[in-house]
Amino acid sequence: MTRLSIDIGGTFTDIVLEANGRHATHKVLTTPARPEAGAMGGITELLARENVVLADVDSIIHGTTLATNALIERKGARVGFVTTAGFRDILEMRNEKRFDQYDLNIELPQPLVSRDMRLTLDERILTNGDVLRGPALRQIDAIADDLIARNVEAVAIGFLHAYVNPAHEVLVAERLAQKLGDDVTICLSAQVSPEAREYDRFSTVCANAYVRPLMSRYLAGFSKALSDQGFSGSFLMMLSGGGLTTLDQAMKTPIRLVESGPAGGVALAAHVAREIGSAQTLALDIGGTTAKICFLENAIPQTTRKFEVARAWRDIKGSGLPVRVPTIELVEIGAGGGSIAKVDALSRLTVGPKSAGASPGPCAYQLGGTKATLTDAHIVLGNVSPEGFSGGSITLDPNLSVAAIEEQLAAPLGLTSAESAASGVVEMADEIMANAARVHGLELGKDISRFDLLVSGGGGALHAARIAEKLSIDRIIVPHNAGVGSAVGFLHAPVSFELARSVMQPVSKLDAQAVEAAVVEARDETRSVIAAIADPEAIEITAHAELRYAGQGQEVRLDFDADAPFAPQLANLEERFHAAYRSLYKFTMREIDVEFFSFSVTATAHLKSSALSIEQGDTADRSEAPDRQVYDLDGEAFIPFHTVSRDQWMPGETVPGPAIITESQTTTLIRKGWSCHKLASGHLILERVQPG
Amino acid sequence: MSQPTKKHAVTDRQIIALNVIWNRLISVCEEQANVLMRVAFGTIVREAGDLSAGVFDAHGAMLAQAVTGTPGHVNTMAESVRAMLGRIPADTLQPGDALVTNDPWLGAGHVFDFVVVTPAFLDGKIVGYLASTSHVVDVGGLGWSAEGRTVFEEGVVIPVSKLRRQGALNEDILGIIGINSRIPKEARGDILSLLSCNDTGAERLIALMQEFNYSSLEDIADFIFERSRAGMAAALAEVPNGTFSNQLELDGYDSPIVLKANMVISDHQIHVDLAGSSPSIDRGINCPLNYSIAYAAFGIRALLAGHVPNNAAALEAIKITAPPGLIVSAERPSPVTARHVIGQALPELMQGCLSQALRGKVLAESSGALWTISLSGHGDTPFSSLNVALGGMGARPGADGLSTTAFPSGVGSVPIEIAESAAPVIYHSKEFATDTGGAGRYRGGLGQRVEIGARNRETLKLSAAAFERLKIGPAGRDGGLPGAPGRVEITDGTVIDDKGNYEIPPGERLILRTPGGGGFGDPGLRAADLIKRDIAEALVSEDQGSKLYKYNSQNRKEQ
Repeated sequence: MTRLSIDIGGTFTDIVLEANGRHATHKVLTTPARPEAGAMGGITELLARENVVLADVDSIIHGTTLATNALIERKGARVGFVTTAGFRDILEMRNEKRFDQYDLNIELPQPLVSRDMRLTLDERILTNGDVLRGPALRQIDAIADDLIARNVEAVAIGFLHAYVNPAHEVLVAERLAQKLGDDVTICLSAQVSPEAREYDRFSTVCANAYVRPLMSRYLAGFSKALSDQGFSGSFLMMLSGGGLTTLDQAMKTPIRLVESGPAGGVALAAHVAREIGSAQTLALDIGGTTAKICFLENAIPQTTRKFEVARAWRDIKGSGLPVRVPTIELVEIGAGGGSIAKVDALSRLTVGPKSAGASPGPCAYQLGGTKATLTDAHIVLGNVSPEGFSGGSITLDPNLSVAAIEEQLAAPLGLTSAESAASGVVEMADEIMANAARVHGLELGKDISRFDLLVSGGGGALHAARIAEKLSIDRIIVPHNAGVGSAVGFLHAPVSFELARSVMQPVSKLDAQAVEAAVVEARDETRSVIAAIADPEAIEITAHAELRYAGQGQEVRLDFDADAPFAPQLANLEERFHAAYRSLYKFTMREIDVEFFSFSVTATAHLKSSALSIEQGDTADRSEAPDRQVYDLDGEAFIPFHTVSRDQWMPGETVPGPAIITESQTTTLIRKGWSCHKLASGHLILERVQPG
Repeated sequence: MSQPTKKHAVTDRQIIALNVIWNRLISVCEEQANVLMRVAFGTIVREAGDLSAGVFDAHGAMLAQAVTGTPGHVNTMAESVRAMLGRIPADTLQPGDALVTNDPWLGAGHVFDFVVVTPAFLDGKIVGYLASTSHVVDVGGLGWSAEGRTVFEEGVVIPVSKLRRQGALNEDILGIIGINSRIPKEARGDILSLLSCNDTGAERLIALMQEFNYSSLEDIADFIFERSRAGMAAALAEVPNGTFSNQLELDGYDSPIVLKANMVISDHQIHVDLAGSSPSIDRGINCPLNYSIAYAAFGIRALLAGHVPNNAAALEAIKITAPPGLIVSAERPSPVTARHVIGQALPELMQGCLSQALRGKVLAESSGALWTISLSGHGDTPFSSLNVALGGMGARPGADGLSTTAFPSGVGSVPIEIAESAAPVIYHSKEFATDTGGAGRYRGGLGQRVEIGARNRETLKLSAAAFERLKIGPAGRDGGLPGAPGRVEITDGTVIDDKGNYEIPPGERLILRTPGGGGFGDPGLRAADLIKRDIAEALVSEDQGSKLYKYNSQNRKEQ
């Protein structure tokens, strides 16, 4: 089995070849104008290096931020939006809230379709699906003429209550397709996101239409370039929800690709969790500008259908465009290595969300950065060694870090040394990340202290131990070769497809047969989507019901069996709802009707992946590294940390803290009270000597 | 910026810990508010965020509050805790106790808002309090209406009481609320959800104190208050000292109401006296002083010191007073259901004063009070439906006003698909209303046109209690023109011109047009491409483009 994965990010394109029982990786610059060109170049180089030809590759798995970038940079298609007469401005009115109470200068996201491109049709469907007014063909034709005159590349259709009854959307789409021809993409809200709440659904269908022409062209071009070079295997796309899908499906709903990069990272975490047998896992990735967390249970990542892209105002929640498609539930935190630490107008120490990024970067990089960053703090403390940083590619000047932290932080905070201030910066970053995990865990009703912490990214292993202490977590996993992240994750992702439907009926009055029919329909549809690329025997169907007390806004998600008759499961679902509610909020309200809000069905199939061999350390070759001096805030003094190179270390060998494990892309900090050993699979496990 | 003293924090380690703890406290409140949103029943709370949550020290001083929520709740709650402890003293509280009230003069200004206060105990001592407020949909009486002549008609009032005693719910109190409410189960659920969110907050507060080894919040409170006081002082130093006055005319119930303010800005304080405002009336739009203070303080802080977190010290720099018995300082038993009609006009009143001190730096007037759309049906399946309609925000110095956006309230609207599934009503339209934004170099935000009818053939009852600014549109600033006033009518020809109750006969519809925000700066200075865009998008008509902006159809400005 020979497979190739390609992750095209904004700056870099990562390529991983899985052949002959090992992974070979390659990194090239992304070519934004034609991303497939850069990728093809990188593929050719990597294959040549590894003596493989494209004709030998069985499958290619691809993820890209192209759709996301098009949304952020507003470089998508010219879209016309057809909606219910009287509701032209839903897309621009949003939920009518200010996302920041005290900031009078906020700017709202510009809608993807401006008002003059929003056309209305006299039609109306009611909340139960009944038709109040049907559309007149003549009016549809007039809209078609208008759209042609406006030279649209894509049309989004979104009618009120189309999630219950899509008939009008379907009718209008068919008529418009006849008039507008094949060159114009048409997207229906009832197909892209068949759920209640008009603003969210309209926003999603418009975003899909906005990126679809671009993504279809790009994917078709990439696919052709690959087959021109002899590739004849399967071409799969990584979805935001953590699964893989066919090229065809990806071209239909490219909005489902927006978070494919991070989803790849989580797929890798899921793979490692499965390999190690971690039943409950908190995945934390700390990069240069942000950190991301995701909860996994039995190696299955938490997913959501609420997501926001292209935030318009200081990256504040609520300032972006809502997109309701299955997405790995990631909490993004504005704290990473490049995050700027400062003392604010209230003399408070803050870290992030502003970042110095890679350029100018932290002060120590000597690239012109003058603001103290989290990385500078690590350098001052001795956590990060100036020698051999980032594989020796960047030369650090620690004096610049010390000076910036002394002047910008220690003095205004009234602290006695740069080291104390640097400790404060790291502690604040740890606090922000631990707190985000704590809050998110509470929201999901999870007891975080029972989780393993699985870290990745350049900063994950540096912060892991302190964050685990804050969360009372006793075991940390630092995966082997976590640096190439997403692209490797693609190779471990299952094939999967999810569909969701709104129901919104009290359980007591639910038409169980109708729900069962809808479940069966969704089940068969998801199965048929992935049957093209997965062994039918390997397909697993999972289903979730979302229940709530009638009148409340938050649903509780419970699994059920989509293959078994639905009616007998209903009473059980209701009981499980009360129990789950009690565990979340400590009380129940049995006197209130339970509402069956919606359900989702997912078809999943794990693909076979090759067994990989891991290169083991060689003790014979080991040179004893000198201890490193690392600052300890408790004693306000530097103390020696034993230093070990990850490569020169045998599985089974245990290193007690305080110690530092070095490798080219990251550093693992083993604090006092922790010990570390290496597994045969290459992963590091940190455990608390005295569990907290 | 003042140099922080080291009164309590002596070591580097302690200073860093205090920084971390402050950060965490704000998150404790945020989590409290999020729990509340998830478990609340009223669409207005869960979809729109009509709530607040906060952490208080052992003396009842507010340390931190959730960013989520609405100023009317937040800033009243800052005083509620101390006031409630005045009735039931701290030394009578046991672990597992919680206090409750919906007294408008102790809580958030009307009987719908319940405040629950839960003490947090550590080692047998009260170390702090968690408080939260939210809007309960129905507590009896007249329901949502300005028709009450006294507060006695507006619903059941629970004096400060123990909602829970040592972990056991006080079913007597819950029973009183339940038997008075038209939707008893939901009312009970909403009150229990306040308890639940406080418990979550208390657990996190105690865990935080244990993690950092604090047995009291004293040092933390000192640290927060000292920094906040200094932050406010620095912010006030940017404003010239002086005395400024302003007045604002509102429609009132059926005759005009004047709001007056005299603002004295000194080095460390802003003092506003509301004397001269109209006296209270015998209809339910009066505002208790606590609610007036909340919104007036918000208006000032949002403009001058939005970066200073809301807490007792940040609020103490702003002093709002009024002689008793005015519409802004109504006394019991004045009716107060739609008190936000007055309260939410106060930020405009304050900003009008501040615009004299800070010329060119203050936004134009916004549409003000949240328009509450309260509809009920009394046919075979009785129902009541509550939603809001937002008007336009005033234009800002440097940017257009936001269209159909809540300000000063933080409450957004309920999605149509949710509103229609919750009650048998049909929204026939909800769209920007052309030409409602005040003209200016920066245009005021647009209001909207909303058209609603019954799904079945039945009469709908409507309370017009909160339809304000039907007569005078929000004023422009620095040469900007006023936004359009609102308009409300029924398709049978009825034009709504007071805040009474109305009937929408079967087959007829209610048509609302919310006010637009005022414009900022001379319309003649507006950039031609912006005028062109506004006309292309029909936000401004060609007619108004030519009249107010001197822009002709040849796509160029007249000289």
